[in-house]
Amino acid sequence: MERRDVLKVLGTAPAAAFLPAAALTAPAAAQAAPATAATPAGPYQPRALDAHEYRLLTVISDLILPADERTGSATDCGVPACVDDFLTIRGELLLDQIRGGFLWLDSETRRQHGVDFANATKAQQTALMDRIAWPGRAALADQNAAAFFNHLRDLVVNAFYSSKMGVKDLQYEGNTMVMHWVGCPATVLTKLDTSYAAAQWRLPFPRTGA
Amino acid sequence: MTQTSNSPGGSQPSSSQPYDAVIVGSGAGGGMAAYVLTHAGARCLLLEAGDWYDTARQSHMLEWPYQAPHRGEGGGTSSWGYFDACVGGWTVKGEPYTQAPGSDFRWWRARMLGGRTNHWGRISLRMGPYDFKPYSRDGKGFDWPISYDDLAPYYDKTEELIGVFGTPEHLENTPDGKFLPSPRPRCYELEIQKAARQLNIPCVPSRLSILTRPLNGRPACHYCAQCGRSCATGSNFSSPTVLIPPAQATGKLEIRTGAMARAVVVGADGRATGVSYIDKATRQERQVKARVIVLAASACETARILLNSKSPLHPDGLGNGNGVVGRYLMDTVGSAVSGHLPQLMGLPPHNDDGVGGMHLYMPWWNYGRQLRNELPFARGYHIEIGGGHGVPGAGVLGGSQRILGGGYGAGLKRGLRQLWGSSISFSGRGEMIPNDNSYCEIDPQVVDEYGIPVLKFHFQWSEDELLQARHMQETFREIIEVAGGTVTSSAGAERNWGISHGGEIIHEVGTVRMGNDRRTSVLNDYCQAWDCRNLFVTDGGPFCSNADKNPTLSIMALAWRTSEHIATLMQRREL
Repeated sequence: MERRDVLKVLGTAPAAAFLPAAALTAPAAAQAAPATAATPAGPYQPRALDAHEYRLLTVISDLILPADERTGSATDCGVPACVDDFLTIRGELLLDQIRGGFLWLDSETRRQHGVDFANATKAQQTALMDRIAWPGRAALADQNAAAFFNHLRDLVVNAFYSSKMGVKDLQYEGNTMVMHWVGCPATVLTKLDTSYAAAQWRLPFPRTGA
Repeated sequence: MTQTSNSPGGSQPSSSQPYDAVIVGSGAGGGMAAYVLTHAGARCLLLEAGDWYDTARQSHMLEWPYQAPHRGEGGGTSSWGYFDACVGGWTVKGEPYTQAPGSDFRWWRARMLGGRTNHWGRISLRMGPYDFKPYSRDGKGFDWPISYDDLAPYYDKTEELIGVFGTPEHLENTPDGKFLPSPRPRCYELEIQKAARQLNIPCVPSRLSILTRPLNGRPACHYCAQCGRSCATGSNFSSPTVLIPPAQATGKLEIRTGAMARAVVVGADGRATGVSYIDKATRQERQVKARVIVLAASACETARILLNSKSPLHPDGLGNGNGVVGRYLMDTVGSAVSGHLPQLMGLPPHNDDGVGGMHLYMPWWNYGRQLRNELPFARGYHIEIGGGHGVPGAGVLGGSQRILGGGYGAGLKRGLRQLWGSSISFSGRGEMIPNDNSYCEIDPQVVDEYGIPVLKFHFQWSEDELLQARHMQETFREIIEVAGGTVTSSAGAERNWGISHGGEIIHEVGTVRMGNDRRTSVLNDYCQAWDCRNLFVTDGGPFCSNADKNPTLSIMALAWRTSEHIATLMQRREL
C-alpha cells in the first residue's frame, strides 16, 4: 500500500475502524518479530529459572495478583512465562535476587512446616508473605527478603498490567487514534477543582535583560 | 549500492559524475541540505551509512506491548527497545569507539535513512539572542560568529516547512516562532502548572514539531503519543517524511544507502574533489566526485571523517591545521526527579496520551539572577515534564511499594488501579560550557569493521554543570512538594546530583566549530571550511555553544542558511 493510500484510509474511515498503518502495510518480515512469550506454542519452557523455581513462581504469582471481580489472576494472563522472559534480559543481579529469594521462601516453609513453599498451605504461604510484603514493617532480620519481594512484586505487576488483561484491568482508553484532542475531560477537571480558564498562565516575565 | 529499487521516489537521475554536491548523512542537517540544494537546481548525491527507512511501512505505531518481544523492553533495532524507531544506539555492531582513562562518553549512532530524526523528541526550541553571544554575556565559552537575527529568518522558514506548535509567550531569550496551535494541557500538566505558578516558574505550552493542523499534504496528529516509534502518517517531523520526498520530487537527488563515509578526497590544489566511502554490501571502497562536499554525518562522525581525511597537504586531517577538529565536544546536562501526586490517584478513566511528548514545559527563568551573580553557576536549563497513564508496557507500575507501602493480593490490585497515572517526572536539560577536557580524536590503535580508524572520547563536566544539576534537583523536589506530592526518585551530592553521562542526552555538538578567526575555528560564518573552500558542514558540529534549547531545530535552520549560501556561490560560479 502506498503512503497516499494510507492517508486515504486515515482520511475517510471512522475512528473506530482504524488499524495500525504499520499492520496494514508492513511486509511480512517486519511483522515476524512479535510475541514469543505472549503466544507460546505448547507449554512455556522457562529459560531463566529451573522447573522447581518456575513452579514456585506460578504459585506465588497468583497470590500476588489473584482473580477478583474485574479481571482474572496472574496465571490467567501468562504472568509466569512473561516474568521468566523478563529475567532473561534484566541482568544477572536481578536473577540472583529472585532465585536467592525463592530459596529463602523454601527454606522458611521447610523449617517451619517441613514442605517447600509451593506445597505449603495457602495460610502458611500468606503468613510468610505477610512478614516480607510490607518493607516498612518487616523485621530487621527479614530486610533482604523484603527487598527480594519488592523485585518479585514489580516483575509480576509489570507482566500482569502489560498483558491484554492488565490493560483492561486498568481501563486504559488510549493507544488509539484520536481525531480531536479535547485535553482534560470535565469530570476530571471537576475532581481536581480546576478549569482551563483558571489555569491560564500569564506572568509578566521580562523579554530583555533584568 | 545505489538506492533505486526499493525507494518510493520513482525514477532517479543517472549517476554520471561529478555531482554538484555530495551530502554525507540524511538526518536533520543532511536532509535539509538536500532539500535546499535540490530546490536550487543542484544535482545532489546523498550518502547514508544505514538502510532505507519507510515510516509508513516500518513504524510500530499502535502495536501493543503484549504483541512485542519482552513486552517491548528489549529486541528491535534500537538501544531503547523494540518500539523505538531508531536503527542504532550507543553501541552499533562492528562500529566500536574508545574512551580515554576516566571518561565515559556515550556515542549514539543512527544507521538509517533520516538518522535520529526518526525517533527524536520533536522538541523544537529556538536559541535566543543571548545564546549566540554567551562569552560576551558572562565571559565563559565562545561567541558565535553570527547572531540571532542572522538565523531568525531561517528559523521562520524551517518552522513553516516542518510544522511546530507553540504559543507566543514573549519570554526573555526564548524567541517565539511561526507556531501551529497548541494542544490543551493534560490533567496532570495542569497540576504541575499550578505548582509552578506558586514558585514563579513559567510553565507554558511546549514547542514540538508535531502537526496540530494538516500541513503540506501531511495529516494532523492523531494523539497516540508514540512519536518515538516514528509516525506512520507523517504527522510529526522526520527527514524521511518531510525533507527527502520533496527533494526527490525535484528529480535532482540520488540516494545511496549502505554507504559508510571514510574520508573527503582532496586534490593537489587543496580543493576537495569527492568522498571516499565503503559500500557495505560489497565491502569495497568507492569514490564519488562533486563540486561541493557537505558533511552532515553528526557532530562526532563529521569530525571523524575530517580527521581521517589525511593527505600531504593536510597531514593532521582536513580542516585541522589548527588542531581544532574534534575539540569542544558538548552534550546537554541532564538530571531527573520523579514524584507522586495523590490528587491524581483514582481519577475517572480518560485517555491522556496526547502528542508524543509534553504539552507544557518550563523555559529557563533566571537570566536576571545570573546577570546579578545570584546563582553559583552560569547558563540555564529548561524543564521537561512527564506523567500520565500511557500505554502499559514492560515497566508499568514498577516501584509501587514506595507509595502503597507494599502488599499483595486483592488489596494490591485495588491499590495499583488507584496508583496508575499518578506519577510525574521532571527532566532538566541544561547548557554545557565547552571545555578543554572534552573532545574526540582518532584512536591510532583501533579501526571499525570497515577498516576506518575510530574515535576516542575525552569527556568531563565542569563545576558549572554540576552546580546546575544540583539546582535542577532542588527545584524539581520543590515543585513536587508545592504540588502536594512526594519525591520518589532523586539524586544528591553522592551521585553528582544525578548528572547524565556525556552523550547520554544525545545532543552532541561543537566538534568542528564555526568562527570569525581561522586560527581558532574550523569553519567560517557560513560553515565553510577555512582550509578547503568547497567543503561545508550542516550538522551540529559547527555549534559554538550548546544552549539548553535542544539542537535539532537550530541544526536545520543553520543548514538552510549554509545551503542557501552554497547555492548562491554555485550560481555565481564561485564554487
